[in-house]
Amino acid sequence: MQFAAAAPLLGSPAGEPVYRVVTSYKPAAKPGMPGPYPGQVVRVHSENSIDAATEKVNRELVKQMLASGMKALTGDARTEDSWARFISPKDVVGIKVNCSGAPKICSSPEVVAGIAENLIAVGVPAKQIYVYERFDNQLQSVGYPKFLPEGVNIYAVETSRQSIVRYDPKTYVETSFFGEEDTRSNVARLVSETLTKIVNVPNMKEHQASGVTGCLKNIAYGNFSNVARSHSFEKTNTLSFIGTLASTEPVRSRVVLNIMDGLRGVWHAGPFSEMAKFRYFPKQLMFGTDPVAMDHKLIEAIEQKRESEGAVSIFERSMSHVGRDNSNPNTNHFIREPGHVEFASKLGLGVFDASRIKLKVIEL
Amino acid sequence: MFLLLAALPALFWDGPADTAPALRDAGIKQMLVPAERLASWKSVGGITVEAAALEGATKLAAPMVNYRMNEASATSAPWIMANGWKVIRKPEGRYYYDVTGKQAALAAAEAYCYGASAMIKTDTAGLKPLAEMLEFLRAIGGESLPAVADIGYMDDGSAASGEVMNLMVRDNLLFRLVPAADKNLKVNVKLGTKEYPLEDAKNPSTLAHSVRFHLTDEKRSLRVYGSQVVVGRLTASSGHARLHLINYASANRKVDGIRVRVLGQYAKHQLRIADGAGVELMDYSVEPDATEFTLPELKTYAIVDLSR
Repeated sequence: MQFAAAAPLLGSPAGEPVYRVVTSYKPAAKPGMPGPYPGQVVRVHSENSIDAATEKVNRELVKQMLASGMKALTGDARTEDSWARFISPKDVVGIKVNCSGAPKICSSPEVVAGIAENLIAVGVPAKQIYVYERFDNQLQSVGYPKFLPEGVNIYAVETSRQSIVRYDPKTYVETSFFGEEDTRSNVARLVSETLTKIVNVPNMKEHQASGVTGCLKNIAYGNFSNVARSHSFEKTNTLSFIGTLASTEPVRSRVVLNIMDGLRGVWHAGPFSEMAKFRYFPKQLMFGTDPVAMDHKLIEAIEQKRESEGAVSIFERSMSHVGRDNSNPNTNHFIREPGHVEFASKLGLGVFDASRIKLKVIEL
Repeated sequence: MFLLLAALPALFWDGPADTAPALRDAGIKQMLVPAERLASWKSVGGITVEAAALEGATKLAAPMVNYRMNEASATSAPWIMANGWKVIRKPEGRYYYDVTGKQAALAAAEAYCYGASAMIKTDTAGLKPLAEMLEFLRAIGGESLPAVADIGYMDDGSAASGEVMNLMVRDNLLFRLVPAADKNLKVNVKLGTKEYPLEDAKNPSTLAHSVRFHLTDEKRSLRVYGSQVVVGRLTASSGHARLHLINYASANRKVDGIRVRVLGQYAKHQLRIADGAGVELMDYSVEPDATEFTLPELKTYAIVDLSR
């Protein structure tokens, strides 16, 4: 068992949350996060990867971006060798997609299919690959099957909203944020009982509560139940909750690779994409094993975009910018917590210090 | 009087005798009718009847969940219309529900759960769900074990005090009424004291939270995870516990799984569930201080008998 704290869980609503981590899973000898490449990020940009007018993705170019990114990350000459550093034919591999803004923005099926093809190329049988997400309706809205190699599994944790039966009752993080009755957030059974490795495929998005939703948040809120409770009020608990979940075993050990799909992006009112005016096209993929370093780069990208649009920083904490009408890019439902990325670095999940992050940029 | 009400809730039907075919089709075998209709119903075969009157009985609210989607609120928690606290306050009372459709089954389950003497007036759509629930309850029988309580509550009879009891029931904070602090209980609560000022009772939710804070979750005899609309009641005696679980949203949707934690070690279990053929407890686990299990589906009502 991991116990993060022994203090009573039901603290004052105004106090800092106290977490109790319950898991019987031991860390791998070399946990997937931050993995073999701490502080390293590869960005592959291609102007023709997606047509901004039609949103048609150039699948061949995406394959090239995947190959270039992986080789640049590992230093290998052959794409198969770079994948083989993370995945063996015996692995059961989850591709954790993000469909919270689907179908307008999600882990692009072209990217996800490209990842699955690379897994098969290193010997993983298609039936040992799971493209998965928490909510079935979001997952179904994308239409992954027609892009994926035959035999790859599509799996939703909650086949109906709030169903708990596909979560592991013995692996959870317990905390009370505001006196809610259900104080547990359980990891998906697929993650704890079936998968041996996870490839994390988030998008490049601003998030109204956590500031950005990149690698860390897709790992955390995408693999555990009962997480929306962290942002029930304007002042949220996303700062510490995201890293705490992501660092819980077996999640920390099994997420071995992050490929951030930035073909499309959202710079305001995320994670959904109900207003097209806040969607944009960074036309890039980012690669790494260090989710903190990658999310640091995401913060920079979102900040740069918001600045160019005349919007306030995601670090702005004044209540004067909190309100219900987020069609105004200077108004947000919550006080954002982009500090969750630095917080995660303190849990050992990666490198946040900008001076220690090495970014390789590739233009195709 | 009211032999039909001795152990189980009963249908109160004020329709004429020519409605008998609809009742038979629904599976109603016994019921209460107004005295003025008793003679005509006595001549109808297949349905046992007794005379009863709603007058003099206390009307209970239709059990349900109000999701308050359009209402500004401090939390997004759904509002449960539950009557358990009223029966706890006045267990010897006579009660009736006036409910429609599937709410009739829910009302019967709630009344049975708290041992209330209750009549259920319903419409034609409510007959079949009610008949099925009554059949389920009849098969279980009327075992009566003392209620498990973590909290001793000194009820002053006021409306504010009643609302605190209501919130404790809905939050699965197990209490029993005590005339004075009982040191055998984990926490004792009296409004107007330093720990529980009357001022706080203006927001019963805050006060219930305060009770929970003083009790601590670790000492709670019952925890329900995974749903905000399931209320439990735990009774127990010498190595045997009975857990009642009610889904207050059952008229609209089933609950897709709850995780339950009951303090104490219970190696054996038996699940009885209304309208849930094939459902079994999952991930049953006996820990050093508690027993946990998952009920994968709850339509309206389930009873879990636990024993050592």
